[in-house]
This record gives sequence, C-alpha cells and structure tokens, in this order.
Amino acid sequence: MIRTMQRLMALLAVFTAFTLFAAACGSDASTDTGTSGADDSTEADTGDADETDDTDDAMEDDAAGDGGDVKAAFIMVAPIGDAGWNFMHNEGRLGAEAATGVETAYVDSVAEGGADFDNAVQQFIDDGFNVIFTTSFGYMDATEKFAAENPDVVFEHISGFKMNDTNFGNAFGRMYQPRYIAGMAAGAATETNKIGYVAAFPIPEVIRGINAFTLGAQAVNPDAVVEVNWTSTWFDPGVEGNAAQTLIDAGADVLTMHQDSTATGEVATAAGATFIGYHSDMSAQVDSYLTAPVWDWTGYYTDIINSVKDGSFAPAAYWGGIADGLVDISIPDSSPVAGEMKDVREQIVNGDFDVFEGAIFDQDGNQITDADGNLVVDLSDPFGNAIGAVGDAMNDGILLGMGFFVQGVIGSVEG
Amino acid sequence: MAAPFAFEKRDKPLRGGQIRAFVVGVVVALLLGSILLLIAGHDPITIYTKMFDSAFGSRRGISTTLTRAVPLGLAGLAVAVAGSMGLWNIGAEGQIIAGAIAGAWVARLGGDLPGPALITLMLLGAVVGGGLLALGPAIARASLGVNEIITTLMLNEVAIRVVRYLVNGPWKDPDGNNFPIAPELPDQSALPALFERSNIGLLIAAAVLLGFGVYTARSAWGYELRIAGSSEKAATYAGISLKAKVFTVLVLSGAIAGLAGGIELTGSSDRLVEGVANGWGYAGIIVAALALMRPSGVAAVAVAFGAVQVGGLSIQTLGVPAAIASILQALILFGALSAAVFTNYRLVRRSSGVTTATVATS
Repeated sequence: MIRTMQRLMALLAVFTAFTLFAAACGSDASTDTGTSGADDSTEADTGDADETDDTDDAMEDDAAGDGGDVKAAFIMVAPIGDAGWNFMHNEGRLGAEAATGVETAYVDSVAEGGADFDNAVQQFIDDGFNVIFTTSFGYMDATEKFAAENPDVVFEHISGFKMNDTNFGNAFGRMYQPRYIAGMAAGAATETNKIGYVAAFPIPEVIRGINAFTLGAQAVNPDAVVEVNWTSTWFDPGVEGNAAQTLIDAGADVLTMHQDSTATGEVATAAGATFIGYHSDMSAQVDSYLTAPVWDWTGYYTDIINSVKDGSFAPAAYWGGIADGLVDISIPDSSPVAGEMKDVREQIVNGDFDVFEGAIFDQDGNQITDADGNLVVDLSDPFGNAIGAVGDAMNDGILLGMGFFVQGVIGSVEG
Repeated sequence: MAAPFAFEKRDKPLRGGQIRAFVVGVVVALLLGSILLLIAGHDPITIYTKMFDSAFGSRRGISTTLTRAVPLGLAGLAVAVAGSMGLWNIGAEGQIIAGAIAGAWVARLGGDLPGPALITLMLLGAVVGGGLLALGPAIARASLGVNEIITTLMLNEVAIRVVRYLVNGPWKDPDGNNFPIAPELPDQSALPALFERSNIGLLIAAAVLLGFGVYTARSAWGYELRIAGSSEKAATYAGISLKAKVFTVLVLSGAIAGLAGGIELTGSSDRLVEGVANGWGYAGIIVAALALMRPSGVAAVAVAFGAVQVGGLSIQTLGVPAAIASILQALILFGALSAAVFTNYRLVRRSSGVTTATVATS
C-alpha cells in the first residue's frame, strides 16, 4: 500500500510540475518561430482521429486539384553542414519553398536502412506531408516499401534505381558532364601532370565521375594522369585528409574529390596545390579553390512539387544534366583553358558533345568504343551481367553500370 | 577537500526513491531543455507535447516506440546480465552486427525454407553469432583475467569491418547496380506483423526480458550472479565457480545482443546493411545503467528510452535542428541517470558530514 501511495505521489508530482511549467511558459507561446505552419501540425496532433481526418482532407483537396495542402518533406543522411551533398539538398529545399510557396520541413542525420528512417517518414506522413524526398542511396528499399503502403503520398528517391508506376520515382544528375569540364581545368593547371582524386566508394556514380574528369584532363593535356585514392567513407575529414596527403606525397599538384567534406581542399592549400571541389562553391572554405562541379536541386524539387500540386505527377527515373540546370560548373576566368571550357559547356547544353563519345580505351589500353562511340567489346558489370554488346552505342544503361576505368586513371575499380 | 558538499552512501537505498529521483531528474532536464528551446526560438510546450504525442499519442506512435524498445531492451539486457556480476560488456554493438551477419548467412544458405523454419534458424544463428563474438573476451577474461572492457570494445570495430567487407565483396548484390549492398532477404524471412509497425520481435524480446528478469531475480543462479558481482571472496567462499560463471555470463550477454541483431535483420531490414546496429549496442549501456544493472528493470527503461528517441526525431519536423534534438535527448537521459545516484547516496554538508555519518551508523 505504501509503495502504491508513493507511486501515486510521484505521478502527482510530475503532473504538478508539468502544469506549473506549462503555466510559466504559456505566455511565451506567441513567440513561436518554428517552421511555417508548425501550429497547424501541432493542432493536427492533438488526437489520432483528428490526424486521420486532416490527412483525408488533404487527399480530397489534392484530388480536386486544389493543391493548397501540398507539404514537402526532406530526409537527409548527414548534418546539413556548410558545403556538401546535404547542404545542397537543403539549398534546393529552400529554393523550392520560395518558388512554390508550399510548406517544407526536413530531418537530417537519419541513418540508412533502419528504424530512424521509418520513424522520420511515418512522422511526416502523420503530419500530413504528401511529397517526401529521400536523399540518400541507402533509403531506397525503405522508400519503396513506404510508397507501396502510402499510395496517396508521392516519394522521390535520390539516388537509386527503384521506382513504381504511381507514386515513387527516382532522380539523379549527370554530374559527369561538369566533371569533364573540371577535368579540363585540372589538366591545364597541373605541372607535374599528376592529378589526385580522393574518392569514396567504387560505385558506378563515382567511377563515371573519375572517368569523365580524366577524359577532360587529357583533352587539354594528353600527358595528365589521374591517381585515385579510395577512402571507403562519404564523410570523414580525417580519412579524406590522409588520402589527400598520400596523393600529394605521390606527386600530385592538383587535387579533387568525391567526398562530403572540404578536407581534401585543406590539404591541397597546405601543400601549395590547386583544389577542385565538388557539390558547391567552396571558395569561402578553401583558399586553393579553383572551381567545382556543383548541384542545384531547386528546379527539380520545384517541378516535382508543382506536378503534385496540379495533379500531373508521374513517376520517372530522372537523370538531369547541365542543360536541365541540375548540375553545373562555374568556369574560372583565370584558367588558361577558360575559353575551351566554355565551348564544351555550350556544346553539352546544345547536345553537340557527349562526354563519353568517340574512341575510349580502358586503363590497360584495351579499346572499348570505336571513333563512332560504339562498343567494340562486350561489356559486363563486375558480376558478369551483360550491360552492352559489340555495336551498341555508349548508352545510359552502360553509363549507369560503369565498372571500368578509362586510360589515364591510376588505381583499381576494386576499391 | 574544499568542496562544501560530499556524497554519502545511504544505509539502505531510499524506498521508492528510484521513481522519485527519476522524476526529479527528468523534470530538471526538461526545464533546462526548455531554456535551450527558447533560445533557439521554439515554444517548449509545443515541442514537448509533440515529443510525447509522437511516442505515445497514437497506436502508431506506441508501436514505433515499442519497436525501438526491442533492440534497446535486448542490448540493455545483454549489458545488465554481465553488469549484475560486475562485468562490462561494451561490445553489444559488435555482437548485434555479428548476430545480423549470422542471420543473413543462414538466409543465404536456406533461402528456400518456409518462413517459420527460416526465421527460427536465422534467429538461432543470430544468437550463436553474438555469442561467438563474445567467446574470445569470455575465455580471455575467465582464464587469463584479461579486461573484458577492452576486448569487447575492440571487437566492435572488427564486426563493422567484417560487414563492410561482406557487402563490398563476397556478399555484394548482383542486382545492386554495383552498389555496396547485400542482396535482399527472402520475402518469407520477414517477421510477421503484430500491429502497425510492430512485429512479433516485440513478443520475443518481451519474453526474453521477462524470463531473464524473473530468473535472475528469483533463481539461485541469479543470486550467485549478484554475490559474485558484489564480492569475489564471498562467492568463492560460497563455493561458486567464478571462472565458469564469468565465461557463461559473457557468452550469454553476447548471445542476447546477437538476438537483437537477428530481430533487427528479420524485422526491420530488407537486407544486411552496414548500419544494422545503429548505435543500439552503445545505447544498451545507458539502458542498463538506468536500470541499475537489474535485468528486471531493463524493459521499462528501454520503452522510456525508445520514447525519448522517437520524440527527439519527431520534433525535427517542427524545425528543431537535429543537434538540439540530440541535446534534449541527452539532457533527459543524463537527468534520469544522475538522479539515480540519489537513490543510494545523499548529499551532506562537508563540515557536519562526519557527525551525521557517526550518528547514522551508531
């Protein structure tokens, strides 16, 4: 009995404390400066039944083409930070919010393939969000599952290879296009003819970028080679810095990277080398910065949100390039090949030039494509699955499964 | 010496003090957190309401909280079982991974088996996997007295590298577009759903937690465990074989963590991923500490901890940055943890402390 009484007293104490606390803070409620519409979602949360009603209303509105209730959520794998992958997605989110006027919200630092992701997505759905962008590869399976369970919510996954016919699409950028132009800048800048490339994982996206960069470098400097150092991490400034230093020690005087931090740039600056960034303009963070292939997700996010608003959304596997504004590169006037870089950019935008056109050789000197850009060998991915046969043109399917390095790359695609 | 206050051990733990201390600790933490939230421009009431609602306000919220409590509870139990005899298993994180690897291996070998058989074998495999990773530290500790904190901790690094190697190499998905991911698990290996997001992993974990809670509290085995934990001499005098005990307990601890990995794999994942342990193993240490190393207290703490995590994530949708949400979670846990100290200790004024102590013991 005494124990029960004590428990009751304890409970009472909690309630008293909460009530006092609520009273004390109540007057501050008007100063709430949360995200736009935060009050709405709190109201919707006061009861389970209300919540369901709200969601239903939103769906009815959508069906009626009203579109006033579109809310877009973004789930990101790491902190937004100030320069990397997630930073650019958040810039895109803010841009799309300004362009469409819809409410947006995000959660960052959400681990891949586990309970955190499920919780975040479910929370957004419960709060009435009906467009959800999941911006890391490892979210793919879970996004697919949520899309199947929630037919009234649109899901867009970046970057993967799954989609469905109704409410689940994927997107990515042809980053290899600006990478090629960045490679031209690097080829012109190097005096030792060795360019260092700090790279995360040997997946097609990264391999494709390294190949495009190398082709660009050799287009302006046939003697230039690109040495790759793998880090097996997307974000670890210490590991990235060490990998960069190894490349400097090996004689590289221009460094670039496929990572999420600016550590490679800091090493380049300290070593008196030139740095070519990635993701965003890193001139504010890195003194030795020359240029960088950059992302701009605003247009894509805006288009998807608008298509949901007007009911025209149809899932697609979207792969946007410079012409779409999804990727780009600023061309430094200081570069001796600035003119050529501008020309190439122009030709890519016009469709007059394709990075992987013409004769391509692999790093061992074996010819892959002829002068017309058609395969002269059968190509398979690392598992032996055929991705292209003799005579095939260098198509998107081959690019998406790319598992070989072009001539001029030093390093192994095995990682 | 100069400090005016000192902690003095109570003659006996404060009756019902645990709950009282816990409540005070959490309230203080919430107050501190509200200052932080006000500075960041958020209304604490809105935020705290949202936290509570998302964790307990609906069937879905409850199921989400309970789903999180499963790995937290099992990891906490793993640490607490070892902790109740004074051993520190810091390796639950690695043992969860080992369990998941073993479970995934079973699925590779027996992908054609019917669901119930496959799931049972995968979970058994996970138990063995977790136990195997703890085997080394158990032998080293029992026979040579090698500090198990170091060995279990270091094996976490080994486990994460093994899973990384597997998904980048021999277990890479042939249909994964060359991405470093393992193949999807067979459909029939998914644990059957219970309600909302919960699956029967919840029942398995509840049964294990209840079983261990009762068994360690009531059985001679559990009694011996506590004796061994409080005094080696007393244990030896009572005829308890310490070496065998240390060995059994550490392997058992690893096996329980392995089960958590198995349930995560079959319950929440579609394939073996590098992040399968998701920090549950380390969180398990906090869970066990909050439960004062008593297996019987782990379940309640795991649910509370799960709720704090669910709440912490949910308020990010209101625009609270992840960093502040993490600080809030940490404050609440820290408040609860530090308050637990007052169950066994009281704060006394240094100058009169001696007198008080004398009076108390006379």
